[in-house]
Amino acid sequence: MSIVYFMIPFALLLGFGFTAAFIWMAAKGQYDDLETPAHRILLSEESVQSSHERQGT
Amino acid sequence: MISSPGVYSKVQLCLPPLPLCAHCGSAVSSNSSEVGTPLFCCSGCETVYSILNSRGLEQYYSLKKMGGYFNKPSPATELNQTYSYLDDPEFRKLYATENGAGQIQMTFFLEGVHCVACIWLLEKLPRFVDDVISVSLDMSHSTALVRLCKGGAFAAVAQEFHRLGYRPHPVRGGEHEEHQRRENRLMLIRTGLAGACTGNIMLLALSVYGGASGHWALVFNWLSFALFLPVAFFSAVPFYKAAWTALRTRSVSIDVPIVLGIIFGSIASFANLLTGSDHIYFDSLSALVFLLLASRYVLKRAQQNALQSSKLLHFLTPSVVRRKNPRTDLYEETSMDFINAGDVIEVRAGESIPIDGTVLTGSANLNCALLTGESEWVKVGVGENVFAGTVNQDSALSIKVSASGYGTRLGQILKAVEEGAHRKAPIVTLADRVSKRFVSAVLVLSVGVFIGAWYLAGIQEGLNRALAMVIITCPCALALATPLALTMSLGRAAKKGILIKGADVLERLSQIDSVFLDKTGTITTGNFEVLEWRTVEENARGSDADDLLAALALESRSNHPVARAILRHFPQIPATRLPQVDEFCETVGTGVSGRIGGSVYELRQADEVAVSRVETRVSFLKNGSKIAEVLLGDRVREDSKSSIEKLRALGLDVHILSGDNELPVMNVVSQLGVPRQNAMARMTPERKCQVIQEHPRALMAGDGANDAVALSAAFVGVAVHGGMEVSLRAADAYLSSSGVHLIHEMIVGARETMKVLYRNLGFSLVYNMVGGGLALFGKVDPLFAAVLMPLSAFTVFISSIVGTKRLRGAA
Repeated sequence: MSIVYFMIPFALLLGFGFTAAFIWMAAKGQYDDLETPAHRILLSEESVQSSHERQGT
Repeated sequence: MISSPGVYSKVQLCLPPLPLCAHCGSAVSSNSSEVGTPLFCCSGCETVYSILNSRGLEQYYSLKKMGGYFNKPSPATELNQTYSYLDDPEFRKLYATENGAGQIQMTFFLEGVHCVACIWLLEKLPRFVDDVISVSLDMSHSTALVRLCKGGAFAAVAQEFHRLGYRPHPVRGGEHEEHQRRENRLMLIRTGLAGACTGNIMLLALSVYGGASGHWALVFNWLSFALFLPVAFFSAVPFYKAAWTALRTRSVSIDVPIVLGIIFGSIASFANLLTGSDHIYFDSLSALVFLLLASRYVLKRAQQNALQSSKLLHFLTPSVVRRKNPRTDLYEETSMDFINAGDVIEVRAGESIPIDGTVLTGSANLNCALLTGESEWVKVGVGENVFAGTVNQDSALSIKVSASGYGTRLGQILKAVEEGAHRKAPIVTLADRVSKRFVSAVLVLSVGVFIGAWYLAGIQEGLNRALAMVIITCPCALALATPLALTMSLGRAAKKGILIKGADVLERLSQIDSVFLDKTGTITTGNFEVLEWRTVEENARGSDADDLLAALALESRSNHPVARAILRHFPQIPATRLPQVDEFCETVGTGVSGRIGGSVYELRQADEVAVSRVETRVSFLKNGSKIAEVLLGDRVREDSKSSIEKLRALGLDVHILSGDNELPVMNVVSQLGVPRQNAMARMTPERKCQVIQEHPRALMAGDGANDAVALSAAFVGVAVHGGMEVSLRAADAYLSSSGVHLIHEMIVGARETMKVLYRNLGFSLVYNMVGGGLALFGKVDPLFAAVLMPLSAFTVFISSIVGTKRLRGAA
């Protein structure tokens, strides 16, 4: 049971870390535009492809 | 379209079906290319196609098919400006900003951004234009943020945008947008923090509910308290502010009971923590704060989307003007911000006049529909006054500026709208009314429970029961009921092209009892067009198609509004197919005539009446005998009649208010089945406003400056597609398609939304009553509250989704 002495603070530390990351991202404006990035996923295929092509030639 | 079956069907058979442009997908009017090569609707599209091919960017077209459209594609226009004014230091001071890394950035609104492929293409710009570091698209606002190296020029970037088919307009990075962005971010952080804390508190609380006791329970409870502090002191701040504002004005909003719950709940829970009791409600309270913040954030973003939507692009005012440089005597581009009285500017055909002034050279017909509502064009010549907001129809004018910005007639209207001279009173929403009664009920009950329980079972029990009462009746579901239903409705409406500025507008829409429609541009198209082409059967014989081509050949040599209208009516016939005309003659004010293929053709205006206010009649004569009669005028839109009927079926009184003269108005009224007494003509903007103010529950729909004041005074003001920026500012909602058919949908949608709202409120009140009753009898403990709160929130959420399903399904 003494593992709990470690788990709880560690869990809280992790939580704090993620929350801090979230706050940092929000403050930087990563969440200002939620629609365009969703469409950009469709485009990443091409850049991956072309970089492979470049490596191939 | 041509109403006479004889001519129409024959003409149709003669022409091939319309192919589509390889770039933008619109119908192509010229069919002169050979089979197999790609066709384009205009040279602009052809240019873009070749640019993309030469740069190896053909993937654009395959990406287009993959992503699907979120806007309608539009044809590319020719590059006709240099955009040099973008690099003028004065301009840059206003529009560009320098970011941390020494780069300069400017935001542009781009016309025609409609699909994933556009994002792909535009973000590749740095590859093709020097000094550009990056281009990032914001799809929902149709804006692009361009970052340049210190010595770069925005003109090159703007030209490239234009060449690729996306006409750019620089956007002033106003403090308003920046402020809004910062507010949004702060709210998101508050929400996220509340969510993180809530999750952890719930974990700790669950352990205690699960049976942890003794010093573990103590540790967990203190940890819960520590995690609750950021929620209470940071995340919940918006509620404190709103409740304070309400109390200061001696009114009550839904925030008041929330704040009461939080304050009393946290103090009492802390007291219980100190005494070792287990009546601790930190988990429920932080869940409350999180849920409410999340729903409000979502609603806020939904409301802001309407205001910044790319669907509003047609409301843009021209940002660039051609001004004569007095030293060089040449016209150079400059921004509207720098135009002063005394400057000389040039306005070409098809452009709208941005200032008030006097004509120095040239003469043209102006379309004043947006400024005054007149359906007839006004001819101006040297020395005459022109006003901002009118559109030059046919030839270039050079104008000496007498007033710009707020000094123009249009500007005065804008000022009146902005100063809220005729602002309508804010309504007391349903949610506000409910919360008033709710607060008093909760206060009374809590005090009652406290006293009763104290009397019966001691102070500790009294406090605990009162605490439970306050927590359980804390209006989680009640406060969620409204934002959830409204957010979904706003989203659904936006998908249909109905952009609503604020959530209270939906409630107003459900209370409308009469509808006032502007005529020119709203019910009618606002353009001078061919209404009917009637062949006179006895005289017409043989090749009607050839006669038609002869008519077009004659009209193509004239610049008269009638000629333009007739040519616009047959867009699919290319200039190359028109026959040669010998002995062409144009008589001013009467018509055109000429000899084609052996016959003498004439198109003459009927002698009795000059360009009539109601309709213009033009006789088409072949060798002296009349073979057809053409009627022209301001066309009533096809959907107007059915829309008005549907509105009346809803129980609404329909009226027509117009700035135009009696005859055109009465003509339209008789076509639409609106009772005569409901139509008023020759209305000035002030008079329209007066009429609206006599009807407290009126909806007003209009497009032009002459409607703006009435729009801001009406119970609900709706700006229609094709309107001006000033009506945009004045209105509560915008319709992104022409005509009035969306008004019916808007009202039906609003009524449905109110039903969902009532149901949500019903559910939440049931929860509160059940919970309150149980708290009365001491059956409520922290575990019960922790379960009931999310459960009630979930019910309301499901009810909102199911309730607005019909609104979404109907799309």
